[in-house]
Amino acid sequence: MSRALKSFSSGGSLAPESIDRFMQQNRFPLVEPGRVTFVFRGQADEVLLRSWISGLNTSQPLERLFESDLWALTMELPDMSRFEYKFEVVNSGQRQLVLDELNPVLAHDPYGANSVCQGFGYKRPRWTMHDPGARSGSVSSLKVDSRSFQQVRDIKLYLPARFRRSRTYPLLIVHDGFDYLRFADLNIVLDNLIERLEIPAMIVALIQSPDRLAEYTGNVGHARFLAEDLLPAISAKFPLLDDRKSRGLVGASLGAVASLHAASRYPALFGQLLLQSGSFAFSDLGHHNRDPIFDPVVRFVNDYRSEPYKLAEKIYMSCGIYESLIYENRSLLPVFQDLDMEVLFEEARDAHNWENWRDRLRQGLSWLFPGPLWMVYE
Amino acid sequence: MSLQILLGPQSPVSNLREALDSVSVKGPVVSITAGWRDSEAELDELQSTAGINVEDLNLYRLAEEIFLHEPELHALQRQRQDKLAELQRLYRIRLEPTLAAAHNLMRETGSSDLLRLEQRAAISQLRALDRHHVRRISAIHEDFNLQRARLKIPMASELVYTLQKKVAGCAAVLIAGGHVAVLINRIRLFRLTRMLGQKPIIAWSAGAMVLGEQIVLFHDDAPQGQRNPEVLDAGLGIVKKIIPLPHAQTRLDWSARNRMALFSRRFAPAKCTPLDNGSMIRLDNNRITYASKASLISRDGIEQRLETL
Repeated sequence: MSRALKSFSSGGSLAPESIDRFMQQNRFPLVEPGRVTFVFRGQADEVLLRSWISGLNTSQPLERLFESDLWALTMELPDMSRFEYKFEVVNSGQRQLVLDELNPVLAHDPYGANSVCQGFGYKRPRWTMHDPGARSGSVSSLKVDSRSFQQVRDIKLYLPARFRRSRTYPLLIVHDGFDYLRFADLNIVLDNLIERLEIPAMIVALIQSPDRLAEYTGNVGHARFLAEDLLPAISAKFPLLDDRKSRGLVGASLGAVASLHAASRYPALFGQLLLQSGSFAFSDLGHHNRDPIFDPVVRFVNDYRSEPYKLAEKIYMSCGIYESLIYENRSLLPVFQDLDMEVLFEEARDAHNWENWRDRLRQGLSWLFPGPLWMVYE
Repeated sequence: MSLQILLGPQSPVSNLREALDSVSVKGPVVSITAGWRDSEAELDELQSTAGINVEDLNLYRLAEEIFLHEPELHALQRQRQDKLAELQRLYRIRLEPTLAAAHNLMRETGSSDLLRLEQRAAISQLRALDRHHVRRISAIHEDFNLQRARLKIPMASELVYTLQKKVAGCAAVLIAGGHVAVLINRIRLFRLTRMLGQKPIIAWSAGAMVLGEQIVLFHDDAPQGQRNPEVLDAGLGIVKKIIPLPHAQTRLDWSARNRMALFSRRFAPAKCTPLDNGSMIRLDNNRITYASKASLISRDGIEQRLETL
């Protein structure tokens, strides 16, 4: 139990007024070095912490304190950790997932919002937040006629501040790019890193698949779309550096699989890969035990693991240690390292979510595309 | 009579106009924006900020043209740059342990004479290494100049003459920031140092860095980790005893007081002078006569107001 809660509840019973005072005097969850205490106040038969931390029970009960309406759960949490959660409140057999009303920190994703637990020492990096001193790039919409998909695809294009047609730029293609903008503040991150000269000014194509479970799972048509539809369309309209070191693919989860798969199909085109929490499912023996949508992923990753080859110049990989995919990512790392590719792998005390991916972007992008900050003082 | 005004970065708010007004320029103003490299010709923002017509010397573009037409000069230049890069690599090998030893001694607590003497000795070793490095760089530059004198390079010679004449005929020179090595290389290539020393100069960021006696690269908050401050080159030596440090608020780790103290003491008696957005330092005959939003790193590693004389 947290020190604050222990001292508060040491009297043996909890009057509603003293609970009110306690609630006003503290910020929740109660974070201390090495642990965190979740607190819920309300009438319920049962309250559970629902988190998505691999290795821990995804559902842990909070304890009611002295028959009051105050519930608490203390758990170990290494410093600098971050994970997302909800409370499951049970009343008369009805179960409801709710946000932690006492915690104002929320993270959003395509399915809604979660409360965020920030462990001791975690601070949102400044470079992920809007900096009024950083010049803003622009994000516009573009239509790409895809022969591969036999349809027109809507994409978004980030152009850096001070974009000039007389210059040439590296190109980054980002899977789930609209989500990267909404949930990982990618445009703000790009503005800040470019302003700080930590990465060069670059053009970023943000793609969003209408059916990512089909297209991001080792789909040849998707790889063809990137290489034969999207890249030529952008090259025709915008000044790009014409070498593979200046072209990168980015993706998280299945987006990382799609990036790796496209690079494997077109190794001469894409030199830089930024792979976050890649869903690199594989089986060493027999059938895998994941959802059938992973069948093509497993086939692709198994094939690649059995006959690996150089498919990029540099690969930055990251994965949260609180996600089950850490096993797959750690397993793929030595495969890449044994080849003639530069590989940087970063593990984070975080889980499978957009803020984890956001927080790793500085390290990944600046390592793949180092900016001129050491020599340039503007 | 020499006059230089050193400014911080010109974004988000420019104080170039204020600097120009304080000089009361009468006559043409030229600019050197070679540090912008490929973007050298993009002068719209500079012109509108300055509020006057500015003619750029186009040093970056002209150098590229010379290199195309007089490849022997290009080869010589390339050879020099390769030597400088290799020398820098070797310098870093020596710098790292020397700096680490000095850091470790600075971290030691206590006030014994023994410790103080060892700290001083460690800093002296650092200074000696930096001095040695600048001497070796200067020798490479001298060798380059000797070999260049033997070349038949009419286009370069003509351009040197034309550009020197332009500078001689101007009322003031603006030197913008950008890539600090490219900037000083181009100024040297066209032999403008002596002429620049005779003109009022307003320089910002990398432009301010090249005016000093040595160019110090630094960044405590680089994404791939902290790097050791290092001497890149001798500067033009027009501004004495000041080491301009642009973007100091974001690039320096002010919380690491020992590190900052070592920075300051390593380059003393030169003043390590942060230049951030809005900073302005005016030097008349190398005396600071005006300073606004300007400071220096004290020998204790804290930010101290820069006093005017």
